[in-house]
Amino acid sequence: MMSRMDWRDVLGRGLELVRKELLQLWRDRVLILFLLYVFTVDIYLAGSGLSFSLHNATIAVMDQDMSHASRELASRFQPPEFQRVAAPGDPRAAQQLLDTGRSMVVMQIPPRFQADLGAGRQAAVQYLVDSSNSVLGLLAGSHAAEIVGRYNLEQGAARLAATGAGGRLPGVDNAQRALFNANQNEAWFMGIAELLMLVTVFAIILPAVAAVREKERGTIEQLLVSPLRPLEILLPKVLAMTLVILAGVTLAIALVLRGVFDVPIRGSLPLFYAISALYVFTTSGIGLLLATIARNLAQVGMLAIMVLAPMMFLSGMWTPPEALATPVRVLMAVSPMHYYIDAGFGVLLKGMTLAELAQPLLAMALLGALAFGAGLARFRRQFA
Amino acid sequence: MKLVRAMVVARKEWQEIRRDRLFLALCLVVPVVLMLLFGYGLSLDVENIPFAVVDHDDTPASRDYASHFSDSRYFDFRGRLADEGAIDRLVAANALRAVLVIPPGFGRDLAAGRSVRVQTVIDGTFPVRAMTMRGYVLAINAQASTGIALEWARAATGADERSLAALAQPVRLETRNLYNQPLRSVWSMAPKLIMVILMIAPPFLTVLGVVREKESGSIFNIYASTVSKAEFLLGKLVPYVVISLFNALLLFLLARYLFGAPFKGDPLFFALATAMYVVCTTGIGLVISVLVRTQTAAMVVVAIVTVVPAALYSGAIIPIESLSPAAAGVAHLLPAMYYAQVATGSFLKGVGWPVLWPNLLVLAGYAALLMAAGYLLFSKRPRT
Repeated sequence: MMSRMDWRDVLGRGLELVRKELLQLWRDRVLILFLLYVFTVDIYLAGSGLSFSLHNATIAVMDQDMSHASRELASRFQPPEFQRVAAPGDPRAAQQLLDTGRSMVVMQIPPRFQADLGAGRQAAVQYLVDSSNSVLGLLAGSHAAEIVGRYNLEQGAARLAATGAGGRLPGVDNAQRALFNANQNEAWFMGIAELLMLVTVFAIILPAVAAVREKERGTIEQLLVSPLRPLEILLPKVLAMTLVILAGVTLAIALVLRGVFDVPIRGSLPLFYAISALYVFTTSGIGLLLATIARNLAQVGMLAIMVLAPMMFLSGMWTPPEALATPVRVLMAVSPMHYYIDAGFGVLLKGMTLAELAQPLLAMALLGALAFGAGLARFRRQFA
Repeated sequence: MKLVRAMVVARKEWQEIRRDRLFLALCLVVPVVLMLLFGYGLSLDVENIPFAVVDHDDTPASRDYASHFSDSRYFDFRGRLADEGAIDRLVAANALRAVLVIPPGFGRDLAAGRSVRVQTVIDGTFPVRAMTMRGYVLAINAQASTGIALEWARAATGADERSLAALAQPVRLETRNLYNQPLRSVWSMAPKLIMVILMIAPPFLTVLGVVREKESGSIFNIYASTVSKAEFLLGKLVPYVVISLFNALLLFLLARYLFGAPFKGDPLFFALATAMYVVCTTGIGLVISVLVRTQTAAMVVVAIVTVVPAALYSGAIIPIESLSPAAAGVAHLLPAMYYAQVATGSFLKGVGWPVLWPNLLVLAGYAALLMAAGYLLFSKRPRT
């Protein structure tokens, strides 16, 4: 049992070590510059100027009719979804446009298009889509279906009126409303996603690199012969890194997310900080684990990629859990980052509260405790 | 420059790599693991979307319309909600991602030949997912709406099938998805993954290999030896180029046979362009390793200059036309974009020399430039 005095000693020593770690990080100028860069410029780059939607998709219209009707139909393919590029003269030129990627869509309006429409016949319009990007291929196709559907509704109504059966044709207009990000501002998503990703990367890399560097230089032996227990060595390290990462988070939120991208922080910021602190602290266990496996920085770098890449792809940021096969979904359930993403977006963008996030947070804490415990146990076995 | 001496340096480097078993294993395993993860984990196919319906109308017409959505493979029908009140909460908790809201009077209005407006609420948190859902909704709605119009025209005129189609659907849009007919996202992704992984892995290996020598001080042996600058750099580069080419072959085989992406182009052209690209990315590593002094800094700089450009400014996920002008400018300055076009062209589009020779030229120029930069920046008498 420890007396009160001992506790104070331990605390004092701990704080001194935190100070030492912070000082050490501070003196690593390359690292500090890098941290500054990623938590500002990198997040800005990831969020700005990028768009996943069908935006300025190039469309070349091969109008073989050159009539009023054909031009009218073609004119409905408008920005922001589409942008017109020079029309090809013949099918070979059209194929060339698609092959070279100069145009994503070629629409061919047949000769006699207007005549057919006027005579009440059906006219077929060819719509060739470069689907080498499957998502955009789908969107280019479905936007066209919508545009032509609307056109048909108007034309059809006129035809029906001509037959004397009334000038109306019913149709369904499906308006879409996107929750949480009504204007589908990609910068919000990319900015937050990049921030959460960076937090994860540093939560693993910083402790891993710090521990391995001490290992490489042999300074870890110095610490071990000191009257400190492994936990007393590790806790200050992890605490210092948590502080540094939270400082980065502050920078990113204040300067980039709020300052530039105008992300509406809908939930409580203190809650987000608490969640992030818990996450960084517990995830650092994975970094310590890596440090016990690797012998030098090169190895730890490669190992970190091996661990981080799957975590990122199983975080649910890019692929929703329901689209994954069951075994992969199981893997996802044990990735702490998955829960951090849920909670991070939940607080920042959806305005969820602690009570609503209880489930993912509990899972995150549990997995994190496991990771930290495992890291500590291996560290202890290796050194103490 | 004597080739023999360069080869001796290369052999020494190779032996060093071979003896660091973990490093060698990681060299060969990391790219493959990344490919598997991205390939399986980064599916952008959004399927089984948790979906519910709020049907205020509850008539055969509204149920029929809703079934177009719930019967499709994209949506996973989770049930009906009594009203809109719970939507936000359920979507926030990831229990639902799309909710169709049908207003009262839906059936009545359609029966009277009036157009109606329904609403689909979608989870806008993740823009890629939201866009894909939007595409599905547009396409399904266009189809359902055309069916309703046809039905109305039939009832109104009693005309036969052919004239009905002409009446309600004057323009038939014949969409053909070229290059990736089934719109499989893994087909789109696989060639681009080769590009991304070959952008990231070779520089990593190279910097770690070269800077390690600087950090451990063994580079002074080189400084003091008769080995010339060019011989040293060439010798250093060769093992990493060879390893990366081997990795490229593995990645190609995975893309082709595991993910089943079709390869329609000229294998020789693709091999040549890949080799050129690998020399480029290894060269990036070389230039960085000449400039920095520590392994940590090297990894950090590599991460900055490769990861974001490869993923975001290469046209891999977002087409160049959709980038902002500044971002598009950046894209044109980097080799990733040119090789991405080669990869997609060779795999999906089946184009080769005639279309893509300028890309090969750019890659070759880039490689030459990097080698020259490495040569000029490397000094056997560094300022310390």
